[in-house]
Amino acid sequence: MKRRAILSFMLDRPGVLNKVSLLIRKKMYNVDTLTVCSSRVPGISRMTITLREDDQAKVTQIIKQLEKFTEVISAKELDTDHSYWREVAIIKLEVESSRLETLKDQYNFEVLEQKSEDNCILQVAGSTSQIDNFLNEIGREYLIEIARTGVTAMEK
Amino acid sequence: MTGKNKMLQALKNNGVKYIFGYIGGAIMPIFDEMDKMGTFTFVMSRNEQGATFMAQGLSRASLSTATPQVGVCMATSGPGAMNLTTGIADAYMDSIPVIAVTGQVATGVIATDAFQESDVVGVMMPISKQTYMPLTPDDVEHTVHEAFYVATTGRGGPVLIDIPKNVQDAPVSEEYHFDANTFYPDLPGFNFHPVPERDVIQRAMSMINRSSRPVMFCGHGVIASNAGKLLQQFAEKVNIPIAFTLHGLSAVPADHPLSLGMMGMHGTVEANRAIMEADLLISFGMRFDDRVTGKLAEYAQNADVIHVEIDPSEIDKNVPTTVAINADVGETLKVLLADPMLTCKPRTRWLETIESYRKIMAADLQEEIASCVGDGGKILMKSVVHQLSELTQGKDLIVPDVGQHQMMAARFYNFQTRNSWFASGGAGTMGSSLPMAIGVKLARPDERVWSISGDGGFQMNMQELGTIMEQQIDLKIIILNNGYLGMVRQWQTLFYDGRYAGTPMQSPNFGIIAQGYSIPYRKVEIPDDITPALTEAMEHPGPFILEFICDPAEVILPMIPSGGGFGDMIVKRPGQDVSATNEAQGEE
Repeated sequence: MKRRAILSFMLDRPGVLNKVSLLIRKKMYNVDTLTVCSSRVPGISRMTITLREDDQAKVTQIIKQLEKFTEVISAKELDTDHSYWREVAIIKLEVESSRLETLKDQYNFEVLEQKSEDNCILQVAGSTSQIDNFLNEIGREYLIEIARTGVTAMEK
Repeated sequence: MTGKNKMLQALKNNGVKYIFGYIGGAIMPIFDEMDKMGTFTFVMSRNEQGATFMAQGLSRASLSTATPQVGVCMATSGPGAMNLTTGIADAYMDSIPVIAVTGQVATGVIATDAFQESDVVGVMMPISKQTYMPLTPDDVEHTVHEAFYVATTGRGGPVLIDIPKNVQDAPVSEEYHFDANTFYPDLPGFNFHPVPERDVIQRAMSMINRSSRPVMFCGHGVIASNAGKLLQQFAEKVNIPIAFTLHGLSAVPADHPLSLGMMGMHGTVEANRAIMEADLLISFGMRFDDRVTGKLAEYAQNADVIHVEIDPSEIDKNVPTTVAINADVGETLKVLLADPMLTCKPRTRWLETIESYRKIMAADLQEEIASCVGDGGKILMKSVVHQLSELTQGKDLIVPDVGQHQMMAARFYNFQTRNSWFASGGAGTMGSSLPMAIGVKLARPDERVWSISGDGGFQMNMQELGTIMEQQIDLKIIILNNGYLGMVRQWQTLFYDGRYAGTPMQSPNFGIIAQGYSIPYRKVEIPDDITPALTEAMEHPGPFILEFICDPAEVILPMIPSGGGFGDMIVKRPGQDVSATNEAQGEE
């Protein structure tokens, strides 16, 4: 199913996150990712929701119902051609540092802590697929722990 | 000044005269203050659910008066608040502005499973337009004002204010300042465009002029916008027939020559057939509910759709729109009526075709109504409604409950007074009638109000007879008692091989119940007594209960089975001519 990103600006009031998640549940979706942060304007939050849906009419319906909430200032869908979707992952892994060296040119990562020769914590930023590819290339069997932020997005 | 003062002051500033509710521990400070103030008339329901419907009745009935009021219901925390949920969900489905105020346990013990604590905001969030919990006394007044603004702006809806007990009692800060006259809520995303845009009006106008088989829809938005008269003028000017949703009834006199009556599952043949064959649907303030459309894939396949609707999320939700007019119905009609392109066409063939549809069931229905009794010799509900309509000349206010009798009342009462039909529609809440009628009567004290219930629905909120007794509410109460949950029984007859699971119902002696509440009562078992009994109730000053012993086998037809298309419409009674009913099965 097609992955969709919805960007919404809303008043930073108690319960608004609950309302958004209730709506998504009511519409019978399972959220892929959901990120909330403050915006440039104090008191207004920025929320990026990704979920999977092929039917454009259904996505439009979610957006209209989001806009119906009194706290929501705007909601729109972002497509990958006209926006950047990025996330960050923090990864604890057991892998030889020489192996990391070979990936250095290809991926945007930073070693946060080198615990030993083959044990480190690093952060990697990029699109969801870039992070997935990085993990696959390292080999998922070497991962000890992973924390991903979920997608945040911005229009070009 | 304390939180409770600010709460009551804000209610007063918003024109509140009546407070419906039930006291309890966590709301005691506000009640105490209310008593001291003496500003409000408190109407005690016998269950908090009753208070929500009383508040709804007040909001619904007063909106067409010179002094519209928003109904307010009040309850304590925990079980009190939980009893509000059904009526709040009902108000949400039917877009009725209602303010619910609930006491909450003190902020210090919230989320500790304190005595009578429930997460009221959490429970109400998905069933109300907005929820608030003011956490300081300084927050109370602007919250209440915002609540009224949200409840009544755009598409109406219920709003909850959950106020902790210590916030009610605590004093406001020294620097507290609030001016109700200059207050405007800071809601940058909560915008409405009541006036339609010019280009969509022009597109709509040319589509209307081009159409040869148009049908106009009158929905709840017409009532909510007080636009019945404008809609009637517009229909007359363009000579287009009007079909009504359940909530659109009474916006235009029911016997208007252009009226097709109600559409949808239990709508008239003429309304549904006209919609099936229409080339244009012009829909005012409605949401294409499944009870209106039936199977979407088969709905009005050859028609373009003009959809006038204040809530943008309703446009394109169920039925794709050709021209969307996201605006207030009344404002749109004003613009349409002033449009120089407006032309009246004779539409002779189309109106003749519709006339022929009117005849399909007319003879059957007339015969049935005139006979007054079913095969078993018991009274027919439709005959009671018909005689009531004749006797009152269609001028009275009708508050039905939910079920078969509701559809009978919708179909056979000849509504002449605008905004005279108050029904639980979207939620379909049994038991709504009796308490809702109390609110209706308080809003329109000079008009006669009939609460019509079945034996099932009546017993769901029968305790509100206590409120009627205490407040001396002059309601005329009709119980159409057929010993069954009639609508479900009808489905069982048609789709479950006549197995009546869970529908037979024993009722108490309603005469003794009435006596217990000191309300006069009369039981009617023969057709000749229908009109005399109705007359007796009408002439009695004060509440009166009439019980009609009705035929359980009576059905409301036509009927489009749930999930079926308009082509599946059942027009013949079971046993009358089996071949005429079709195989379509319903699902509930």
